Amino acid sequence: MWAQVINALLGIWLMAFPAIFETDKVIANNEQIVGPIIASFAIISWWEATRAVRLYNIPLGFWLILAPWVLGYDNNTALVNETVVGVLVIGLSLVKGKIEERFGGGWSAIWSKNPTHVQEARNNPIK
Amino acid sequence: MTNKKLTDDGIPPGWSYNPASWPQRLPIVGMAMVGFGIATYLSLFQLNIVADVWEPFFGEGSRKILTSKTSRILPVPDAVLGALGYLADALAGAIGGTRRWRTMPWIVIAFGVLVGPLGAISILLVALQPVLYDSWCTLCLSTAVISIIMIGPAMDEMLASLQYMRRVKDARLSLWKAFWGNKEIEQKVI
Repeated sequence: MWAQVINALLGIWLMAFPAIFETDKVIANNEQIVGPIIASFAIISWWEATRAVRLYNIPLGFWLILAPWVLGYDNNTALVNETVVGVLVIGLSLVKGKIEERFGGGWSAIWSKNPTHVQEARNNPIK
Repeated sequence: MTNKKLTDDGIPPGWSYNPASWPQRLPIVGMAMVGFGIATYLSLFQLNIVADVWEPFFGEGSRKILTSKTSRILPVPDAVLGALGYLADALAGAIGGTRRWRTMPWIVIAFGVLVGPLGAISILLVALQPVLYDSWCTLCLSTAVISIIMIGPAMDEMLASLQYMRRVKDARLSLWKAFWGNKEIEQKVI
């Protein structure tokens, strides 16, 4: 979970960056849109049942690395910042952390063949 | 042989805890009530019942955001809709006993579905503040944080209900009846 706490802080850092470094509107818009999305996905994945949501931040991390080139940044501080944050977000999103509870096989157990909850229900019938 | 885990504690099969127990649900209901309180206060400002709005960090930010064009896109100010959303969340979190993941899947699934979009709208509104209006609104950001924090804890209960519906389907019983709660199905399917 600590990895996703750091990712949430990185998202908030992106939101604050344009005001602190007085960037132009293109950079500001990108960071003020991507920042809150990264922070939200990270916060949702603090809980074990929704830990998989952390993976949604991987494409956003790649976007941060590409954005300075795609959007043509002329601000090196912002370029370095987004590249470093992008790499960190990707790396930290891969950290699954401890899963201590059991969830009947998780979300894929809704459709997968013979999942944990179906087996346990069969082994422990009502009567 | 009876399923002691289920009958005594309401723990779903294959789970280590009951996601519909009160210690699991009360914090979410409490957070939704806080969101409701803040959104109600912001509504009072938007409806001109309160003249000023509390803003400790961003100067005229809250006033700018709360009187912006976006906040008046719909016939009612957006904080009023937010307040109604949080109230619906609190109710959907509070209704039903500790076995409601199988006795009333409809409320659990409605709860999960309510929490999701409210969170998505919150993220959108957070991004729009600086992008369109170059300002921030402290209390608006606080309610957004509340919406996002509520998503994770609401989802585990929905997962238990959806897994129950899967077992009903495997037993070739009516998913429609199970969704609204059905005593006969509850006696056949764990």
